[in-house]
Amino acid sequence: MLIDINAYVGHWPFMQLKYNTCEALGQRMDRFGVDVSLISNLNGIFYKNTQSANKELYEEIKASKRYRDRFVPFAVINPIYAGWQYDLEECVRKFGMKGIRVYPKYHDYEINDPSLIELVKKARDMNLPVAFNYKMVDSRQRSWMDIDYVAYTPRPEWTLKNIFPIIKEVPDARYMILNVTNSMQLNEADAALFNKANVLMDTSGRTLTDMGSLLKTQGKERFAFGTHSPILDYLTGMLRIEALRENEADAATKELLRSGNAKKFLGL
Amino acid sequence: MNIDRRKFVSRSFAGAAGILAGSHLKGLSAPGRLTAKQEEALSSKPEKYDLMREVMKYRKIDAHAHIYFADNSPREQLDFGERLGIEKQVISRYLSIMPGTPEQFREYNDLTIKAIKKYPDHLLGGFVLNPAYKKESLEEIKRCTDAGMIGPGELYYQVKINDPLYYPIIEKLIELKMIIFSHAECQLGVGGYRMKYNGYKEPNTSIPEDFVDIARRYPEGIFQYAHIGGGGDWEYMCKTLQHSPNVYVDTSGSNNAENMIDFAVELLGEDRLFFASDNSYHQSIGKILASNLTEAQKKKVFFDNYNNLLKKGGRNVD
Repeated sequence: MLIDINAYVGHWPFMQLKYNTCEALGQRMDRFGVDVSLISNLNGIFYKNTQSANKELYEEIKASKRYRDRFVPFAVINPIYAGWQYDLEECVRKFGMKGIRVYPKYHDYEINDPSLIELVKKARDMNLPVAFNYKMVDSRQRSWMDIDYVAYTPRPEWTLKNIFPIIKEVPDARYMILNVTNSMQLNEADAALFNKANVLMDTSGRTLTDMGSLLKTQGKERFAFGTHSPILDYLTGMLRIEALRENEADAATKELLRSGNAKKFLGL
Repeated sequence: MNIDRRKFVSRSFAGAAGILAGSHLKGLSAPGRLTAKQEEALSSKPEKYDLMREVMKYRKIDAHAHIYFADNSPREQLDFGERLGIEKQVISRYLSIMPGTPEQFREYNDLTIKAIKKYPDHLLGGFVLNPAYKKESLEEIKRCTDAGMIGPGELYYQVKINDPLYYPIIEKLIELKMIIFSHAECQLGVGGYRMKYNGYKEPNTSIPEDFVDIARRYPEGIFQYAHIGGGGDWEYMCKTLQHSPNVYVDTSGSNNAENMIDFAVELLGEDRLFFASDNSYHQSIGKILASNLTEAQKKKVFFDNYNNLLKKGGRNVD
């Protein structure tokens, strides 16, 4: 079984996306053998009121039992926008959403913003995972209208160091770290805390070149298949798992990466 | 709606009697737009997709890879080649150093020569040079060709590819029937493109327009535009290069954007793409296999397109 923990529907305003509806994503899943996808609505990155995007996703999924069987929706929440507490309740209680996606850079707040801390604590208390990502698109191809965290400049793309402060602040929450595309280095003390945290990372990011070593240093329970579809191609995240040799990941470990870790982390 | 099951399955994605069936999505109880019969018909699981079988199905020449001054190089590159069924890798040590003196490029090329002599079955060598040093660069082409290299490796940002300093070098490479391969970027504030932004890159970095210019000056030349997946704006690259038939693009780079390969084939044609990794091995294969290219087109991109051009100089793989 394959569970993709990092997929989207919706639009990217600076570039046309393919396969960005439930129907089209579902066809990708069928073509490449993926059973279930965790999805959120990209539009929530760009709408000031993210709840409009969450409602769009809810409406799209409820249109078909097939969608309800195959997609696990996550809510996009902006904790510095009015009414987010009510939005979160609605997303969970009415829309059946199973986790939260946050976008500090796009929604313009710091990683240690008190509102984010409040949100993460609330998520912890509601037993919901909170998902961060390093970046959404490669900054070197960014539109002039996109955010200006750009690789190899004085304002670079994020690394794990940029995300870690919230984990340090609320160490007992559940975190997903997606599209791991830059350094995973932390100082010794922070690395020790990170290793204890309940974290699941997906395999879509380009930093995960040497998965065999990462499984040893981070632990085989901390990674799960992810595509970052439809922004990144559908197969690279899968290839990082399937190309592992027996001495790097035995059959049982590969099953953990394909679906076991996701099922356990999400309580599916 | 009147539609039979086979047709419906073929154009819709199938439902799965999976772990989410039933009550998982609490609250999602609204009726769907599909009829109960159609929903029922779509209860099978997705077919299993054997990714590694697909990976190993195609012969591959990696037209853009690198080795390094590091203890694990080229062992690490060879390991990826074996793991992912890459038959040959065209390696170089790109001249990522300024000013790029003859002493420096000779040292870099020595590393490549050593590697191809040690692993002749898997590695093909590409040389680097700096056309600001005309005499020494022309001498280096001879030295490296005599040592068995197949052409230039990724020429770097010391001089733009369309700078007149390059003319004697390009003329020599044309005479030798070699593929003229250069680094390029396409990013805000780089190499002359939208310089009100600052991309913090070397000013002489080549951009797509530079390739159009030099390819027009030398229509008999065969140019390789490096890494459409190198992070830059690949739509811009392909649109700029669309009408330069003697510019080929390699698909390498760490960016594996969905639709990149389909878009490139649509604009450039199936004969103008070379499979390449730039050492981003997983992405390089994932993006091609995830595309909508036919099997025959994938075969061309993975192997034939590049090998056919090597044939012109008698340097083909088989």
